[in-house]
Amino acid sequence: MPLPAKAFQHWLHVVAPNASTADICRISGIKRTTLAQQLVRGKVAENTLVSISRALKRSPLEDLSSFDSYAELAGRPQVPTPAELVSQIATMDLLRAVISRAAPAYGGYGDDGSAATPALGPAPHATSVRNWVDAIDDGELRHRVSDATGIAPQNYSAQLTANRLSPELAVATARAAGVGFTGGLVATGLLTEAEAGWAPEAKQAALDALSDGELTALAGERLQALGKTLRRQEHEHEQTKKIWENLG
Amino acid sequence: MIAALQWTTLAVCALVAIARIPSALRGENRSIFGVFVLATLAVLLSIDVSYLTVDAWLGSGNYTNLILRFVVYGTVLLAGYRIAKAFDAPRSIRLIVGPAGKAVFAVVGVATVALFLLADTAGSATGLTGLSSRSPENAALIAWYSAAGRLYPAFVAACILPATCLAIGRRLPWAVRLGALLLTAAFAALALGSFYPLIPREAGYLKAIINYTSVLCLALGLALVWISSLLAKRKRMNLR
Repeated sequence: MPLPAKAFQHWLHVVAPNASTADICRISGIKRTTLAQQLVRGKVAENTLVSISRALKRSPLEDLSSFDSYAELAGRPQVPTPAELVSQIATMDLLRAVISRAAPAYGGYGDDGSAATPALGPAPHATSVRNWVDAIDDGELRHRVSDATGIAPQNYSAQLTANRLSPELAVATARAAGVGFTGGLVATGLLTEAEAGWAPEAKQAALDALSDGELTALAGERLQALGKTLRRQEHEHEQTKKIWENLG
Repeated sequence: MIAALQWTTLAVCALVAIARIPSALRGENRSIFGVFVLATLAVLLSIDVSYLTVDAWLGSGNYTNLILRFVVYGTVLLAGYRIAKAFDAPRSIRLIVGPAGKAVFAVVGVATVALFLLADTAGSATGLTGLSSRSPENAALIAWYSAAGRLYPAFVAACILPATCLAIGRRLPWAVRLGALLLTAAFAALALGSFYPLIPREAGYLKAIINYTSVLCLALGLALVWISSLLAKRKRMNLR
């Protein structure tokens, strides 16, 4: 649920009492028409709040938690589980780690990898939302989220496939899984890892803690999913091409 | 209202046909160009003014109506075959150009000509209105002649309908999906044509609305897919 415009304007008045709307839009990079539209509709997107908070060099997480619907984000955030951290590593970074751990003959550095392996890319990545939900899913998670929020399972799945999840659903998913609230907000790209209070080395440490077997199996799953997505895209592309060739 | 629909449909078909002349000269998808030319001709021959003019040349025996029937069959066959190929529907293709399709076409074609020749069709009348009242026998012949004329388009439309209907829900570019939606509407209307006898006499204007809407949807759907392919081509050029 987006933030109520009234509460948002109250917050804006507290954090930037002397700034005009034009100033706010300029520093945060939000289009004036976008903000005006959100205010008129009475619902301000969480993204808007985060952009402004970021621009004012404040903590977006704290600012978000000052709103009633996100009150549970207040206080010290529960740290993400290792599985959540690993889920936020891009597939190509996982594959790089597999190769890095391989024997030198295969271009690797041996068991522990090497400092020469490039650093992990920042979250979110191309499939971070689905990977995050998969990482915290005990098999019944989707049902519980659907029961708790009333979203139809197919709509929820469609959001995951599109690598999207509304902040409200991200929080509801975390609640249903019993994990910290920041995982979903990072996976959806609303907050950066640093803004969520994740330690800079947390992802790398979680990756290093995986055994070769775990890492390889995980990389294999990711690769298979990627292959499926690419094949589907290629199929759709072929279909489109055929339609255009015949009717164009 | 119906006149406006008729002239709009004529304008859309003619404009797209003209716009496709350059690509037809280059040899790109001439059959689609053919669809638009035939559709333009079909609409032209079904509008009162042009029908009466053309029929006057042909001796006022309503032979124009017979020609119109075959123009419609040709349009539907050409468009249906091309669209089935585009939407990758081998079953639809087999039904349309396979033994079943050929048989339906032969039966309908022979029936159309035979019934026309048997009926008393002297005196130009757009849509053959009024000819039925000459004798009960003529009324039956004209009714069967009209039914035969609707049967073939309905058959082809029913063959294609599943393919275009499926394409609406697929993950394709939005313009292609919208095009598929328009084509589905066009073919659904054509397929409904076989139920015209169920429409009460006082709601006869519904037939005209359904007919022209279906031609309009067919033309707009094909044009939309064409335009989207042109835009995609231009985008690729710019990327190079």
